[in-house]
Amino acid sequence: MKSPRLIFTLLFDGSSFMMSRNFRLQRVGGVEWLTRNYRFASVSEAIDELMILDVSRGVRDRTAFLDAVREVSRGSFVPLSLGGGITDLEDALLLLRSGADKVVINTSLWLHPGLIEQVARIAGEQAIIASVDIRGGCEASEVMMANGSTPVGNDTGDLLGRLGHLPFGELMLTSIDRDGTGMGLEMGSLELLDSSFSHPVILAGGVGKGEHIADGLADPRVTAVATANLLNFVGDGLARAREDVRSRGLDLCVHLPAQSVAALSVNFESEPT
Amino acid sequence: MLAQRFGIVDIGMGNLFSVVSAMEQIGVEATTVNSADQIGSYTHLILPGVGSFREASLRLDSTGIGEAIRGSVRDGACLLGICLGMQLLGSSSTEDGVSRGLGLIDFEVDRFDSVEVGGAPVPHVGFSRVSAEPVVLFEGIPNRSPFYFVHSYRVAEVTESSWCAHAEYGSRFIAAVGLERVVGAQFHPEKSQGQGLRLLRNFAMMGR
Repeated sequence: MKSPRLIFTLLFDGSSFMMSRNFRLQRVGGVEWLTRNYRFASVSEAIDELMILDVSRGVRDRTAFLDAVREVSRGSFVPLSLGGGITDLEDALLLLRSGADKVVINTSLWLHPGLIEQVARIAGEQAIIASVDIRGGCEASEVMMANGSTPVGNDTGDLLGRLGHLPFGELMLTSIDRDGTGMGLEMGSLELLDSSFSHPVILAGGVGKGEHIADGLADPRVTAVATANLLNFVGDGLARAREDVRSRGLDLCVHLPAQSVAALSVNFESEPT
Repeated sequence: MLAQRFGIVDIGMGNLFSVVSAMEQIGVEATTVNSADQIGSYTHLILPGVGSFREASLRLDSTGIGEAIRGSVRDGACLLGICLGMQLLGSSSTEDGVSRGLGLIDFEVDRFDSVEVGGAPVPHVGFSRVSAEPVVLFEGIPNRSPFYFVHSYRVAEVTESSWCAHAEYGSRFIAAVGLERVVGAQFHPEKSQGQGLRLLRNFAMMGR
């Protein structure tokens, strides 16, 4: 069977990586800070996927974003999801051509649902993560868009149900209230999904330690947990969290480090046969 | 001995950047190739692919790249299809209506049906453990190593002349396939950490 997944999310605002708390952003550091504290080439076996979101609040500079993506993901051979402010097909395809396996689409789910079909027709539905931000718990909740600034509606169950008919792959549910708090995931968000909802679900917002990841993955409705908590997992924090999750009986798989595979000499010209 | 030359086939639909970086990591310089008349100059071709089978099949036909790949394989080139690229090695797929593949290995591609996957979500996204016969492509990779899959369609039965590796998603499905110098991986080796790099390295060593 399939293994559950741990996704690490990075938030980039055009020049810096950010820590988000209830969707309010705080600068943490630039590419140098990140590569010093999270050498992805050597920590990526601790995660299953990497997600990098362009959270620029003003005009997005895709060139700067993609430069940062390249810098951060060099030497790391994990699935990569990119997103943030995708409003047209050309932009989605640019990200997919730049190394993204999946694009993360949030606001356009509500404003340009036709975009989902366009992207799916060319890249396949599995290349789209529908990202939905939710304020509140399962009792009273509201779907938000545009970085959590604009309400979409408070009939959350219906909105998610309607969304379910669009041709995307996975659904990521992020709790705005838990975001960046390290208090654990909002499991109540799952109650908003109809039992017939058939897309894999990524749960995000609130992870502070391995135990929270394990709690999320233990729910059969959850296929992956994402954390963007940049400060809680510095150094070998991700590796330790992964070990913690595994020790709780969750079947996160064991990856061979990329560095363990010896390089061939350049196209073998000098290699004896 | 002639130096190996590695071409990554670009039909505008694959994640070429990741494959190029993965090849670089294992010390192999690979160039992207997007025209039919260049295909013949490579000893090793990689056909990555993400997206719709029909669209890819149309592009392979209209650009002449499909025919050029078949020609290269006949002349002894090694070919690795990744994800959609593996599906394209086969005879046909039912994605968006039936369309033809390269016909290099005899199999058909069809969507996972909900019974087969035991009601699990489709697409199948994530790491699944792969059990492989002892074939060159999996040399040095522990059995049941996890590889990264993202797909809604899968290869149906293959004929006995080809080998295959399996993974499970509700039930067993074909995760990799090979016939002589033509091999395919339904998963993404370029996204499967060290175990994926080792598989690419094994491919690079093929045909020596």
